[in-house]
Amino acid sequence: MLVEHARNLLEIDAASHAEYGNGGVEVVSLLSCSLTESQIEISIAPGTRLASIHPGEQRRVERTHCSYGLSPDFGYVATSAGLRVSAVDDTGEVRAIERPDHPFFIGTLYQPQRTSSPDRPHPLWVVFVEAVAR
Amino acid sequence: MSRVITVLMDLPETNDSHRYTIDALGHAIAATGAPITFSVVHTDSRPRLRDGVVIGPGSPYRDPAAAEAAIQTAREKGIPLVGT
Repeated sequence: MLVEHARNLLEIDAASHAEYGNGGVEVVSLLSCSLTESQIEISIAPGTRLASIHPGEQRRVERTHCSYGLSPDFGYVATSAGLRVSAVDDTGEVRAIERPDHPFFIGTLYQPQRTSSPDRPHPLWVVFVEAVAR
Repeated sequence: MSRVITVLMDLPETNDSHRYTIDALGHAIAATGAPITFSVVHTDSRPRLRDGVVIGPGSPYRDPAAAEAAIQTAREKGIPLVGT
């Protein structure tokens, strides 16, 4: 999502993801520490769609399985051309982005699906399905 | 009328992230009771998007350009999208 945003809305034509190893402008880069099979605590930005999905929760624990994130050199990518940061982790790394002008457009650098269960479906997935149903 | 979510994911069905994604989507659909189905497709099948899009975990994708095109289409057409 970050690469598409950078390429099409910020005109960074060579925007790329480090995982592909094909050079270009690596908007998404390897994290300084791997978060494979980790738990992270995220801070949710007030007033965002993500905050409305988790009412009353300024911080919450999520599970992640990822070693890549927004490059420190391209922090502005997540806060320009209609995109905004909706959560960061305790190191300040961007962990969720969203478009407030869209019915539902959220990307996470964690896996909310890993804490979902039949009895307690993850709220992000529930609100996504509700958006599809509307 | 039933709505359809397209799940773009290249991971094999045996992969944990694949299973968690499908299970969580199923939990949410069951919880809402909405008439929604979903199909899991590989990026290189370049599917026609319907009512919702999941960009599943597991990059690098087989066809990163197709994944980007799906994100662009969802963004421009207001199709609900979640990417994890």
